[in-house]
Amino acid sequence: MEAALSGLAALAEPGLLLLVLAATLGGVIIGALPGLNATTGAALLLPFTLTMDPVAAIAVLATIYCSATFAGAITAILINTPGTSASAATCLDGYPMAQRGEAGRALGMAAVSSTIGGIVSVICLMLAAPLLARAAYNFAPPEYFALTLFGLSMLASIGDGNPLKNLISGAFGILLATVGIDLLTDVERFTFGMSELTTGIGFVPVMIGIFGISELLLQSNALDAVRERIAMKTIRLPSREDYRKTWKTIARSSGIGTFIGILPAEGATVASMIGYNEAKRWSKTPEEFGKGAIEGIAGSEAANNAATGGAMVPTLALGIPGSPTAAVILAGLMVHGLRPGPAMFTEQAEFAFAIFWSMMLVNVLFFGIGLAGARIFARVTLIPTRVLWPCVFVFSVVGAYSLDQSMLDVWIALAAGVIGFFMRRYGFSVVPLAIGLILGEMLETRLGQSMVMLDEKWWLLFTRPLALFFFVLTAVALFGPPIWRTASKFAGRPANSGRKNDQN
Amino acid sequence: MKAARDIASRYWLPAGIAAFCAAVFWSANYFERVPPILKRGIQPSDFPQLVCGLIIFLSLLLALGKEAPRPKPLAREAMLSMALMAGFVAAAAVDLFLALGIFAASLSALWGERRAGVLLGVGVALPACVFLLFDQVFRIRFPRGVLTSIWYG
Repeated sequence: MEAALSGLAALAEPGLLLLVLAATLGGVIIGALPGLNATTGAALLLPFTLTMDPVAAIAVLATIYCSATFAGAITAILINTPGTSASAATCLDGYPMAQRGEAGRALGMAAVSSTIGGIVSVICLMLAAPLLARAAYNFAPPEYFALTLFGLSMLASIGDGNPLKNLISGAFGILLATVGIDLLTDVERFTFGMSELTTGIGFVPVMIGIFGISELLLQSNALDAVRERIAMKTIRLPSREDYRKTWKTIARSSGIGTFIGILPAEGATVASMIGYNEAKRWSKTPEEFGKGAIEGIAGSEAANNAATGGAMVPTLALGIPGSPTAAVILAGLMVHGLRPGPAMFTEQAEFAFAIFWSMMLVNVLFFGIGLAGARIFARVTLIPTRVLWPCVFVFSVVGAYSLDQSMLDVWIALAAGVIGFFMRRYGFSVVPLAIGLILGEMLETRLGQSMVMLDEKWWLLFTRPLALFFFVLTAVALFGPPIWRTASKFAGRPANSGRKNDQN
Repeated sequence: MKAARDIASRYWLPAGIAAFCAAVFWSANYFERVPPILKRGIQPSDFPQLVCGLIIFLSLLLALGKEAPRPKPLAREAMLSMALMAGFVAAAAVDLFLALGIFAASLSALWGERRAGVLLGVGVALPACVFLLFDQVFRIRFPRGVLTSIWYG
């Protein structure tokens, strides 16, 4: 309680409040721009936070995460192009509503449900993260190793691609993490005599490359896309009738989103898809879905914003990113010399609670900003790609350079961008690569420590109940979906795996 | 001939991944070995080799799985954008911000921008503003080049 109040006091600083307000505006603009999303935005802005105090830096990144996730709905509703992949489900009903002149009502519902979903998830974050951290406080290296492995196994289900490709991408990320001096033995690996590589490949340039520069190349491959923007006369809050119709959906989707967010690596996109499907399944008028049902917007938007708070639970309590954007925030924490995990809630509880309160604040802020400025933000979508993406490139290069003031980082970002582009062309999600890179070092260190602890008898890993539990979860995450698909095929039911590319 | 082409197009990706990992696995053999007392559980080469082995196994499974749909051919603009990036790498040796300006304006023009004012904004004003922001606010020192040396003196 004391830490919660201290965190609130830390956030009450006027300068920090202004920064959060500016980041909310920035996040809404990023989210409204098609092609840019919360992950890319956070990766591009990470270098800007380097000179900030850690509380301010992480508050800015968390603010970008929440507000960009909400703002994806603006373009989803007005131009039928989700600003972020987490808003893909919002297009299904938002755009038909806009076409029949109800853009304001649709945006109002998106803002209300996003705010409620976000606030519910932050409350869960405040309650669950310290409890989870306390539970994890007594984890020994074998348990951490098994937990990290479980987090990585969840990468298989990211995106709409082949789980095998996701795992290969994640394993490449782990392999990249082995570049540099081995922390256990002080031996150089894959440095090819370059002294700059002895500290390893930085997270920031790789993330800028695979999220920012690869997206630029993807955009260059789709320049002929035509967008039609629907004019919006007024924006108004949903009516009492709308609330009566949607409150159960908002409550359900807030719960679903928070839970999905807590699962390692699963992000807002998966949450919004499930939230939307469940809203349809429980609706009295499921036939209206896809034709402009306001419940559809509530189901998708409450879930995707609830996932943001949920995703921060494993990120802060265990150091395992709960979503792709949380992976960037985790990288931000590490760059600032902070190590997320149980100790954060005992040694830096004030810091953790300042982040929680900033997330709570941003959920209130984007409600006001989103409603008041939706018309202006909708105009952001008119910025031509031929102007926007050269600007993104300039910021990407300068951002990659500025972390260590090294041109090698610029080359790494460019190489990661080109590799990321081809990976995405061939159906490999780049998100597992980023998460593998972040977790790789932890995985290897914990394995080494476990081997020392267990006297190099690896099979003893399976004799520890909690580690065994995580190994079982890993097996379920890896083999459950194919077994389920096969069983469904035999039972004659279609296995539902409607996933969209997940980068939030 | 067509059958051979189909086989090549289907298996080149998993084969390429496996070959790359085999090369990485082999190169890891040349890592320094540490005596048992210092190895702290695993040798430096063990973990990367374990990961390479896993990737090779996964690419074998990928090769045995369903054939993925082939991507559409690369658009001309995508190829030229990558060529511009190669040009940026070369020009950055002369001056980072000069290269950024040329790249940004060229990319904008390549993607269809024809207004001179916009091209100047993207190619001159933007890099200049970004330079001043990072130099004055974030105190970042950029590598010296023909333009940055004028500023740094």
